[in-house]
Amino acid sequence: MINKPGWIQRIFHDVEDYHKTLTSPERYKRFRRILFLVMTATFLIPLILTTMLSYYAYRSQMLTNLRWNAESAKRTIEAFLSEFQNVLVYTVNEHTYKALVDQDSLNKLYHRLKSHYPGLVDLGIIDHEGIQRAYAGPFDLIGKDYSDRECFKAISSSKTFVGKVEMGYRKVPHFAIAVSFFNTDVGQNWVFRTSIDVTTLDKYIDRISTGALSDIFLVSRDGEPLLQSSSQQYGAPLSPYPFELPDNRIGITITEDRGVWDYVVLKAVSYIEGTPWALVLLKHGYLYGKDWSFFKARLFFIVMISTILALLVILRITNLFVSRIREADEKRESMLAEVEHTSKLASIGRLAAGVAHEINNPLAIISAKTGLIMDLLELSEEFKYKPKITAEIHGTSDAVERCKVITHRLLGFARRMDVTLESIDINSLMQEVLGFLDKEALYRGIHIDLNLGESLPVIESDRGQLQQIFLNLINNAIDAIDKDGRITIATKLRDQNAIQIDVVDNGKGIPQEIISHIFEPFFTTKDSGEKKGTGLGLFITYGIIKKLGGQISIRSSVGVGSTFSVILPIKINLSRRMHNGASEGFDS
Amino acid sequence: MAQVKVLIVDDEIEFANTLAERLNIRGFETTACFCTEDALALIHAKDFPDVVLLDLKMPRMDGMEALNEIKKYNPFIEVILLTGHGAGLPLASVGNNKHGAFDCVMKPADINELTAKINQAMARRQANLNKGDDE
Repeated sequence: MINKPGWIQRIFHDVEDYHKTLTSPERYKRFRRILFLVMTATFLIPLILTTMLSYYAYRSQMLTNLRWNAESAKRTIEAFLSEFQNVLVYTVNEHTYKALVDQDSLNKLYHRLKSHYPGLVDLGIIDHEGIQRAYAGPFDLIGKDYSDRECFKAISSSKTFVGKVEMGYRKVPHFAIAVSFFNTDVGQNWVFRTSIDVTTLDKYIDRISTGALSDIFLVSRDGEPLLQSSSQQYGAPLSPYPFELPDNRIGITITEDRGVWDYVVLKAVSYIEGTPWALVLLKHGYLYGKDWSFFKARLFFIVMISTILALLVILRITNLFVSRIREADEKRESMLAEVEHTSKLASIGRLAAGVAHEINNPLAIISAKTGLIMDLLELSEEFKYKPKITAEIHGTSDAVERCKVITHRLLGFARRMDVTLESIDINSLMQEVLGFLDKEALYRGIHIDLNLGESLPVIESDRGQLQQIFLNLINNAIDAIDKDGRITIATKLRDQNAIQIDVVDNGKGIPQEIISHIFEPFFTTKDSGEKKGTGLGLFITYGIIKKLGGQISIRSSVGVGSTFSVILPIKINLSRRMHNGASEGFDS
Repeated sequence: MAQVKVLIVDDEIEFANTLAERLNIRGFETTACFCTEDALALIHAKDFPDVVLLDLKMPRMDGMEALNEIKKYNPFIEVILLTGHGAGLPLASVGNNKHGAFDCVMKPADINELTAKINQAMARRQANLNKGDDE
């Protein structure tokens, strides 16, 4: 079954491709880069999205609130005006024309209404020519001409009227509300009007203003826009309003402006029907002015610091992660190399054993034949070439003997080794082994130091085979030194499962290029004179150590010396050892 | 003392013949067979031999099987195993339990070592026979 690569695999495409680029530093650089980018994106994208969504949700909430505030304020102001209009209409309907133009009865009416509606400034009756015929209030306005005033002109075309704020004759900002009525005596429409002080309107607007709003005020809708009520931002009534009003006169128009400090100001404008006014609501962002810029700077600082910190953490994690992977890869690679080496040695071992076996039979025949010839020569009388033939046959026999040593050692390596387990004190075993070799060392002027670890645990292993391992290794060390050298044998606890024995010499050392071959059969550096080796010592040593569940490694520098380290398990795992034996195929 | 009768069983004809001749020179009465079947037939036909030198690896019936057959027929015949193969050595190393064989010798064997082993085997045979007679 072929697995299709997922998107993660596609991102890490050639990072996954172990076999092509296993040890390439480029691979790890690329992997680190991709990992860093992916982790950074994973961190930053949700952050940015959340910020954007929060901003838009906040804005949308703000707009909805503002629209609701504007609707509510507009309805309240309409109700305020309509209450006054209703009072005027009711008064006109309930009183005769004569009662209204009579100054005394108008004064009474004025005081009665004033007691209910304190914001009401005065009452007046204007005839069809625009002359005020009767007046009740704090000013002296009887006989004033209103014919050119807006309230008089506008009332002729509609029944009710609300005027712009003006200074008028009183020099106090106010606005007029008027209704027209039919004077039956003269057969003309006259006007019943009242003035309302802007402070009353301001108080009313103050009441409907909420903490959520920054400013609320009225603006005249026609001509140059002038304030019709007090504004916190733009000043007293009749001050100019510096913006144009929107063309859309139905419903609520919301616009967004930038303030002085670049803060956001939302503006809702709604025209109030039947009046010359537009209601304006201003709403700042939650923070504005210096607070806003301080908030922005602080926010920017926090976001920057947390981003930098996150990037540092991601960088650190990425480096750690990549270096761990790299270590694991290298470990894996070295294990693969060791397995390859072991399996190569096993194959060579099998091959060598096979060859030894095939050679052994003809060698047995040669040996038997030369033996027979020697027997026959001994039985025969003297003849001319007898001494020469005897010498030659002895030479042949010696050569056969040498071959026999080799084939027997090879077969010894290949044969099934029955391990006899017993409890062994490794320190006393090392002393036993040195007992075999100290004369040889003494003779060659080699000093042997013993550096034995204290209170080492007793290990479970095969005494005879361990002796063979260390005889081989120490013999090799002696051969490497020639004369007047030093060998150190050190034992120590490696971990809770294994002990380590180091055989260190200060001999000639082994060049790096041949270190990987020293455990192969027939590989020897002892190529001169008497010491010529068979090249099987380390090969056999290696095989025995593996059988005993141990490991052997070497460190060496030319001219300095070599260290052979043998690691032996404290307890042999029998099933594992048997498995290893089977896989190495040494038990032919 | 009567000549020790030795039967050599090895599929390597040259080796078997040469070894037979060398042992003859040393005073043994020898016969060579080149397969286990012939050797068993010979043992059944004659009251022969005292000691068998038996190669382990042979075609058809191998040395171990032949060893069992010989011991089944006559437990007093001593058998020395010969091997050119590593597999024989465990037998040599397991002490007294050698599947009934007297010993196991690795080829190519030294003639003096071999004659010594034959003489030791013969001594054991004699001892066993005497013990059998007493009983």
